[in-house]
Amino acid sequence: MKLSTVQADAIQELGNIGAAHAATTLSQMLGSAVEMSVPAIKAIDISELGTYMGEESAAMVAFELQGEIPHGGYIIFYISRESAIRLTNTMLGLTDMNRTMNEMDESALLEVGNIMVSAFLDATAELLGFIMLPSPPALSIDMAHAAMSTLVAQMGEEIDEVLLFSTELICEEHKIDSDIIMMPENSTLARIVELMENMMKGV
Amino acid sequence: MTEPHSHDQTAMIGIGEYRVGSFPMMTIGLGSCIGLTLYDDSLKVGAMVHIMLPESAGRKDRPGKYADTAVPLLLKELNALGSKNRSLVAKMAGGASMFEYFGANLNIGERNAEKIRALLKEHNIRLAKEEVGGKCGRSVTFFPGNSGKISIRRADGTTGEL
Repeated sequence: MKLSTVQADAIQELGNIGAAHAATTLSQMLGSAVEMSVPAIKAIDISELGTYMGEESAAMVAFELQGEIPHGGYIIFYISRESAIRLTNTMLGLTDMNRTMNEMDESALLEVGNIMVSAFLDATAELLGFIMLPSPPALSIDMAHAAMSTLVAQMGEEIDEVLLFSTELICEEHKIDSDIIMMPENSTLARIVELMENMMKGV
Repeated sequence: MTEPHSHDQTAMIGIGEYRVGSFPMMTIGLGSCIGLTLYDDSLKVGAMVHIMLPESAGRKDRPGKYADTAVPLLLKELNALGSKNRSLVAKMAGGASMFEYFGANLNIGERNAEKIRALLKEHNIRLAKEEVGGKCGRSVTFFPGNSGKISIRRADGTTGEL
């Protein structure tokens, strides 16, 4: 689905509100300030996915969007491997950067992802009155493209292009750089656009 | 270590894309997707495709994306270059389950691999080697100009050959 400028602005605003709530929870967990970027909207042909996410090692906590629309797409907490170690080190009071990630890291990442994505979806539900519930979290610490393309494949055979809304969340103090990425399926996107448009018209 | 033919431009093959020729070809970051290669040693040519799903359900616009349309497509392209099916050797990598929670329900990687095995058998193509499954991403480079050599790089930094 092609978005008009007005629709893109509306979605950006929604992403902004969701990400701001997620940033607040991350800031509380880290005990330091978290800055966020302006949400970006990217339409990516599946054959070009590799130019967006490549072979780099990253941790991704993925949730399927469920609720009113049962298979509504995905929302992902994305963090580079290096930032992921800094994040769990900060939370667990460790300093060693040159270590392999273990079960403690995995549960910490799942928990952080869970809290942030819940905050994001709570905020958007409150704004739109449209409930998107996160599935239980699923974690991959591997090549970013391998994880992302697997989620795209799970969205079904008719998907040739994905629309991604991503907001970067940065903690300068601990040098942690992460993203919240929403990849809505078409019916979810259509519903969000409709609700945002109604809201802006004051209906 | 430098690869022979490294002066040739390596063709990057995105999801649903394919190439045919004797130049190096690469698919990066395979998760549940599969990188399938067909190689003809007598002609030193090969084909590589980046398959995402097993079934096209009648879709024709991106034949490289689905196993059931990709395999006949590669055979047609290679046959046009003079390859006989009996002289072709297939290899494949990928088909991983990247997220345990989703993997248990959907297992797209395994379904991709099964479909490709069945199609190769149906067309009498020998599947010489495969590295599929597990929960690890893989990048695969195929060198048709160098005896059809295939190198694999995994996310943990380990490498291998097919």
